Amino acid sequence: MTGFDTLWQVIKTFLGLSLFSLGGGNTLLQEYQHLSVDTYHWITNNQFADLYALAEAAPGPSSMIVGLLGLEAGLRHGVLWGVLTGLAAEIAILLPSTLLMVAAALSWGRFKDSPFRIAFERGLGPITLGILFSVGLTVLRTADHHWLAYVVSFLVCGLMLFTRISPLYFMAIAGLLGGFGLIQR
Amino acid sequence: MPAPSPSPKALFFGMLQVALSAFGGGLSAWSQRIVVEQRRWMSNEAFLTGLTVARLFPGPNQINMAVYIGALFNGFIGAMAAIAGMLLVPFSILMLLGLVYFRSHALPAVDHVLTGVVAAAAGMALSMGFKILHEYWRDPLAILIAILTFLALQVANFKLIPVVLVGGPIAMALYWPRARKSQAEN
Repeated sequence: MTGFDTLWQVIKTFLGLSLFSLGGGNTLLQEYQHLSVDTYHWITNNQFADLYALAEAAPGPSSMIVGLLGLEAGLRHGVLWGVLTGLAAEIAILLPSTLLMVAAALSWGRFKDSPFRIAFERGLGPITLGILFSVGLTVLRTADHHWLAYVVSFLVCGLMLFTRISPLYFMAIAGLLGGFGLIQR
Repeated sequence: MPAPSPSPKALFFGMLQVALSAFGGGLSAWSQRIVVEQRRWMSNEAFLTGLTVARLFPGPNQINMAVYIGALFNGFIGAMAAIAGMLLVPFSILMLLGLVYFRSHALPAVDHVLTGVVAAAAGMALSMGFKILHEYWRDPLAILIAILTFLALQVANFKLIPVVLVGGPIAMALYWPRARKSQAEN
């Protein structure tokens, strides 16, 4: 594989997924994991979990994990290829949905009361719900291999639901626990 | 009083300000504060409409919101300017972090810390479904569709795209608004 092959593989992959990112993009995580680990072997399972955590911890929309996946896929051909592939991945995942969104923004007045829109919103909501539970389970299984890691995950999940504390604190505390060797892979 | 409509350049810097303000989180709240209250590009109603459209259509919500705002004032160019403003700094930081990660993730110390962070992040992923569950809780059909979708992905191991392409139209047909039509006919 040359750098260009990898670049093209990355662009093709994310262009094709863009319009399936329902419910804010997180619905695609499971697909990202499957494609970048199992199908194309850009990264390992553990690395996928790491990159997901990095994207969540870093400022900005967490959907930028796609840029990270592209970066890691391209880095085997050098830093320049890595950054180029990362940028291309981000553009590829955003371009189709952005074009659709521009069209939607400009024609919303006509579209908003159509039965299609109502059915789309009500029908795809439950599908998104099912996908998000599946994504949660997949990320959990990818990330955690130790009972204490599961305890941390479930605790954080509960805190996310019942408090308004910034998740950055949870990640910092869990990072410390990991640093002291309390949580293992 | 609304300000004159922003140029692509103003959109870029407005969204840059949103992105920088929201470094600790709360992108949506910052976006509203800056776009509606500080810069007065649009009314709060228009902003909330944008948020509805952004959530409905595919793509990350906050990026879609930037696209909506940009497109409203300057079409495709405006959308590009808004996205660029929103992503420039966070994306550059993320690329740097990714490079550092690539060089250092094999170090035991880095790996140990990441193991902990990953466990917390997995908890965040797990909470996503629970977070919107209450919207569907009283609707048995919705719960059934969600369970079937979950089983198709996790037990039958179908891929996401076929599940959405088959399940989506079926769910849309089930939720097609007919009650409204019969009311109109009565």
